[in-house]
Amino acid sequence: MKFSKYLILAVLLVMTWSCSSNDGNKPSTTDTEAINIVATTGMIADMVSVVGGDKVSVRGLMGPGVDPHLYKASAGDVALLSKADLIFYNGLHLEGKMTEIFQQMTKRGIKTVAVSDGIDRKYLMAPPEFKGNYDPHVWFDVGMWSDTVGTVKESLIEFDPDNSEYYNDSAEAYLSELADLDEYVQQRADSLPEDKRVLITAHDAFNYFGRGYGFEVKGLQGISTESEAGTADVQALAAIIVERQIPAIFVETSVPPRYIEAVQAAVQSKGFDVRVGGELFSDAMGNPGTPEGNYIGMVRHNVNTIVNALGQGGES
Amino acid sequence: MEVSALINDLFFDYTLRTVALGSAVLGIVSGALGSYAVLRKQSLLGDAMSHAALPGIAIAFLLTGSKQSLILILGAAIAGWIGTLFVMSIVRSTRIKFDSALGLVLSVFFGFGLVLLTIIQKRPDATQAGLDKFLFGQAAALLERDVITMGVLGAIAILTMMVFWKEFKLLSFDADFGATLGFPMRLLDILLTTLIVLAIVLGLQTVGVVLMSAMVVAPAAAARQWTDRLGTMVLLSSIFGAIAGIVGALLSSSIDRLPTGPTIVLCISVIVILSLFFAPARGLFWNWLRERKNRGRLHVEAVLEGLYSLALSHENLEHPHSVAVLRLIGSGKGGVEKSLRKLEEQGLVKSTNTDEWALTNAGINQVRKLAKNREGNN
Amino acid sequence: MSINAIEVEDLTVAYKEKPVLWDIDLTVPEGVLMAIVGPNGAGKTTLIKAILNLVNTAAGQVKIYGKSSSDQRRLVGYVPQRGSVDWDFPTSVKDVVMMGRYGALGWIKRPGKKEQDLAIQALDKVGMSQFADRQISQLSGGQQQRVFLARALVQDAQIYLMDEPFQGVDATTERAIVSLLQELRASGKTVVVVHHDLQTVPEYFDWTTLLNVRLIASGPVKEVFTEDNLRLTYGGRVSFLKQNNGNGISDLDQKTG
Repeated sequence: MKFSKYLILAVLLVMTWSCSSNDGNKPSTTDTEAINIVATTGMIADMVSVVGGDKVSVRGLMGPGVDPHLYKASAGDVALLSKADLIFYNGLHLEGKMTEIFQQMTKRGIKTVAVSDGIDRKYLMAPPEFKGNYDPHVWFDVGMWSDTVGTVKESLIEFDPDNSEYYNDSAEAYLSELADLDEYVQQRADSLPEDKRVLITAHDAFNYFGRGYGFEVKGLQGISTESEAGTADVQALAAIIVERQIPAIFVETSVPPRYIEAVQAAVQSKGFDVRVGGELFSDAMGNPGTPEGNYIGMVRHNVNTIVNALGQGGES
Repeated sequence: MEVSALINDLFFDYTLRTVALGSAVLGIVSGALGSYAVLRKQSLLGDAMSHAALPGIAIAFLLTGSKQSLILILGAAIAGWIGTLFVMSIVRSTRIKFDSALGLVLSVFFGFGLVLLTIIQKRPDATQAGLDKFLFGQAAALLERDVITMGVLGAIAILTMMVFWKEFKLLSFDADFGATLGFPMRLLDILLTTLIVLAIVLGLQTVGVVLMSAMVVAPAAAARQWTDRLGTMVLLSSIFGAIAGIVGALLSSSIDRLPTGPTIVLCISVIVILSLFFAPARGLFWNWLRERKNRGRLHVEAVLEGLYSLALSHENLEHPHSVAVLRLIGSGKGGVEKSLRKLEEQGLVKSTNTDEWALTNAGINQVRKLAKNREGNN
Repeated sequence: MSINAIEVEDLTVAYKEKPVLWDIDLTVPEGVLMAIVGPNGAGKTTLIKAILNLVNTAAGQVKIYGKSSSDQRRLVGYVPQRGSVDWDFPTSVKDVVMMGRYGALGWIKRPGKKEQDLAIQALDKVGMSQFADRQISQLSGGQQQRVFLARALVQDAQIYLMDEPFQGVDATTERAIVSLLQELRASGKTVVVVHHDLQTVPEYFDWTTLLNVRLIASGPVKEVFTEDNLRLTYGGRVSFLKQNNGNGISDLDQKTG
């Protein structure tokens, strides 16, 4: 059948085309003099563009809804990274599938910085079943996240010492905003009675949030979405929800909602009605241009969603 | 977790019940239809089809933006079907053999699927489909409506199989002969292949693309060991599949962080290994036992005849000889004494006070009988 | 004037542009017992399959009792080569024979008592009735051949096409099969057999077709089975078997077309 030969050819062509480089998110400035920076998560890209201002041109690899635990860099991404002046990533194995790439970039002489280096190790948590690895979701404790601002600032100054005053000023301004944010979150958290402060999500992204603001936190999957939840995990979580009469559970934008829906169905079959209290931004921010499209907006959205849902008490 | 509590949960706990039911449906359908794939020597076709389904899932999402199970399943089925067509036409129009064509299509489609997944992960909209969960399945996330869909589609597949039972038997055993009877064998082939594709896409949500081929091949391979009848084989295959599904769900329910899909595959693998070794007629273990027994019997006969040939050089056929001499004439590299003792038990040899061995009358007669039998068989 | 059971006109079959059968014109009158002979690669199996409409033809047509073969399925029984199936398939002897009745049963209907009885009868005729419930993998070559024969018999067809039914069969079985074939002919059936043993052609068959991609000759054995024709067919040294001589055919130089 000659037809099939053409079909095979067509398939191969499509594959080759799709392998060609595609661009990541649009840079924040079009200034050609700007420092070319590539960041991994949206939160980091946001921070760098605030601290760097118009001196930097930042591209983020992972957009809204992207799961950094599972993200595999494409050839296009690698091309982007290798042309960068500076690379910022989270570290602590959040970008689980990119470790070798970061090593490669360092070898090529590009300064590759893990922003979590700025956090004192004694503040980090290591969950028992992950033997030796720290929980990487460091951005939900605003105070802890503020520590990373210094790392970013210093890297920028090291690369571009002429503008050190500029970076110092913008960093200071941002830190002040973050301090306000921290207070806001604490305030909202405190408005919930203590026994209602139980946060159940799709994966363990909120441990630092819980510790920082007084919530008990449980995720269905572990600290990486790579692990598949087993039947026992779904059952256990459902049992806890029913036992503690928790009114709301939460889905995340970067994790498929199926598992949470399964938990909800299990809970409902036990006669308790738990609602999905809303969508939280866990490993990625919202769409650019929306209020949740930057770090501060995202954190505010999260805490409001959580407090409103848990404060209401069970309604369908 | 106690067994009784587990069984109780099987019926009354929503999650366990749903997962176990879904897995059982998967096991039954893939076991039954997989029998045909195995018998037609197309086992790896299941593997190729399930890997080929990956781009179908991705494209279905890209085209419709929906994460609905039914839509993704449809995409998987179409892609799996196209993959099969590719394999068939490559075999028909080139010199490439069936298994090479399978490998080709499998890797090209699967690679294409991975590329599409990588592209999708970059999309700016925040509703990600979790498509890569189709790689290994997400059994624990099965909802009741998923199981109902699986059940209905699975029932249709099984029913069709039963309606066309003799036609499929004909197709699998002697398709040419079927054609001479006037049956449209090409159409039947397409129908059967469609049912197999259906079985595969049903299972994709539970065990995923990578492992699905195991569920198509393993239950049937295990069942073949136990029976020589097609009907029994298909039935057993379904039962094995169902058992693996339910046990997998139960195990995953009692141990934390144990993913359900892979556990099911492990269960069916255990069933296969047990069947390979212990099935009555074909089991490797029984073959080994039988061979040992035969070898023992042959050895005993050899020793008996060795004694006879030694005795022939003497006037008296009951002239005794030592064990050492017997060993020398190579009646057996070892175990001569053991065989002698067995012969003694049967009254065919006797030992002397000088630790030597001689044939008895009965022994002499036995040797002659054996020789006659052997001539008769030639 | 006898009726023609099979009429083949201008039949050409090619595999990847290489001719396997070239321009065959063949007439098989009703009621003959015909042997098709030729060297390896002569297209004998292909001819049978083409008559049965199992292979694609490049040219030509086949008529069974004047109509196309797809309309006459009921009238033709097929005994394929033994090696064409996997004998490890999980089924019994009786089951295989009953498959011959599937055509009469039509779609969906399962075989019942009537089919079972017919199967046992056919197995009786070939001397295999005590093996009825035996798993087919436990059969010897000759037994497998007889099962295929029984399967065709149970169809109660008018024409039987058989592909090397004597392959690897012992002398007793061969004699039994031959007498069965002659019985069929005596009752007015037409039997066409692809045969590999030149020595027995004059003894078993009354008609023969010599084939080597092209039709060399076809007709009554006495007229057509000559040394000249055989040399044309086999293209090499052929010591011809004279009827009362008993010299064997040796060293057939079997050249492919």
